[in-house]
Amino acid sequence: MDETPVVAALQSGVLTLTLNRPQRLNAMSHVLIEALLRELARARDDAAVRAVLLTGTGRGFCAGADLAGAGPGMVDADGKPDLGVAMDRLFNPMIRAMRALPKPIVAAVNGVAAGGGANLALACDIVLAARSARFDQAFVRISLIPDLGGTWFLPHTVGDARARALAMLGASVPAEEAHRMGMVWQVVDDAALMDEAGKIAQRLASGPTRSYAAIKDAMNRAGTNTLDRQLDLERDAQRELGRSADFKEGVAAFLAKRPANFTGN
Amino acid sequence: MAYEKILLARDNGLATLTFNAPDRLNAVSRKMIAEIKTCWEELAADDSVRAVLITGAGRGFCAGADLADPDRDSGATADSGAALEKFFNPVIRAMRAIPKPIVAAVNGVAAGVGMSFALAADIAVAGKSASFLQAFARIGLLPDGGSTWFLPRLVGDQRARALAMLAPQISAEQAKEWGLIWDVVDDADLMTTATGIARKLADGPTLALARIKDALGQASGNDLGRQLDVERDFQRELGRSEDFKEGVAAFLAKRKADFKGK
Repeated sequence: MDETPVVAALQSGVLTLTLNRPQRLNAMSHVLIEALLRELARARDDAAVRAVLLTGTGRGFCAGADLAGAGPGMVDADGKPDLGVAMDRLFNPMIRAMRALPKPIVAAVNGVAAGGGANLALACDIVLAARSARFDQAFVRISLIPDLGGTWFLPHTVGDARARALAMLGASVPAEEAHRMGMVWQVVDDAALMDEAGKIAQRLASGPTRSYAAIKDAMNRAGTNTLDRQLDLERDAQRELGRSADFKEGVAAFLAKRPANFTGN
Repeated sequence: MAYEKILLARDNGLATLTFNAPDRLNAVSRKMIAEIKTCWEELAADDSVRAVLITGAGRGFCAGADLADPDRDSGATADSGAALEKFFNPVIRAMRAIPKPIVAAVNGVAAGVGMSFALAADIAVAGKSASFLQAFARIGLLPDGGSTWFLPRLVGDQRARALAMLAPQISAEQAKEWGLIWDVVDDADLMTTATGIARKLADGPTLALARIKDALGQASGNDLGRQLDVERDFQRELGRSEDFKEGVAAFLAKRKADFKGK
């Protein structure tokens, strides 16, 4: 059994969540997902957390769902597996919690991100990848479709043509190529990854938290809104942010040509 | 009407709207945005205008909302949604709704809502020294002027989030590589290139260009089945236009078409 499938550490506003099953390339067991769900709830409720950094221990970022163990209630009466149960109880709530979290999530993809692991990375707001990392939509190789939001993230991230090819061919994409396609914001030398990702997470943790929350919410809705509706959303969000302490500070700092000191309020 | 913070020129079907507060890198004051709004209403109503070119006077394209504007309400009860509702959102809606192509010649920095103006245009061309910046998060806001809608559609969800949250300054070359804009040219060639594109559009089949704009505007909200119906309806309408007749005749005669916009 895993002692601690997710190691959590809070420092200066950054909650670092490290997937910690290196012997399994951090494949997601049920226990691991439950731990992630608990930490995401904490990140949501604890005002001391202003940004989340997600990474993995060892050679891999996350090798997807751990196929080695099916949980209780995940087999139909006819003996066939019911994969929908785990999606409903664990994986989908996790992806929804990540997107709904009103704080930015940075992924430091330190190695292979395969299957659900690739889409776990894409569910983050800003993805940094080590040069040796790979993004692998492995699902079709075991006769499944991309899940954990993959069929939504891919077309919204790399465009329809590439999305179809990645999903159908089950291609394994090196970090540089993923960067060119827009799946990855920044590719970093392996040795510098945690440093660089930590800096970005730290910067976000010192930034206007409510602004980031509004950006996340707006981007989440942009895919299905008409421009007309989105303009109304921007108006409402801007109205609310315009009353925030951080906006006041931001404008004052801009006019005084000094760095802003945001508090997240 | 007479404008002070913008310039409006018309030349044989092509209107040029120039943001004109060069000492402020064309930052948008209350006065300027009110004029821009009126100007789009004027251009929409003017049938002689068949294409619009937008650009900025001086070194900048548009530095975004003018935070030092004396007319800006900065009191404790200030409503930053009100300016969007009254001015900026109507401008973006007008740019997308006007049945004429808009070309942006991005001659310098396009920041905040200034970048949104460039993205709301149909075709954006930038000078090499131009740059793009979603400055909003730097002052505790979120991108507006439609940028939370434009960005994910242009560069994808991941890059959009990073551009909005990290607010990095993007070079014109990078903007082209990511598909934020159509092209980058040497600064010295910008106005010639952009005017050339706008001129071609002003002399083009205006109705078809309007329906292209409409169809692409709908595309991301439609499923393919619905979009095929939209194409059918627009094609039916365009098939009855004089410009279609002229286009086919010119094609068959291997001569240049002389479109009238009808």
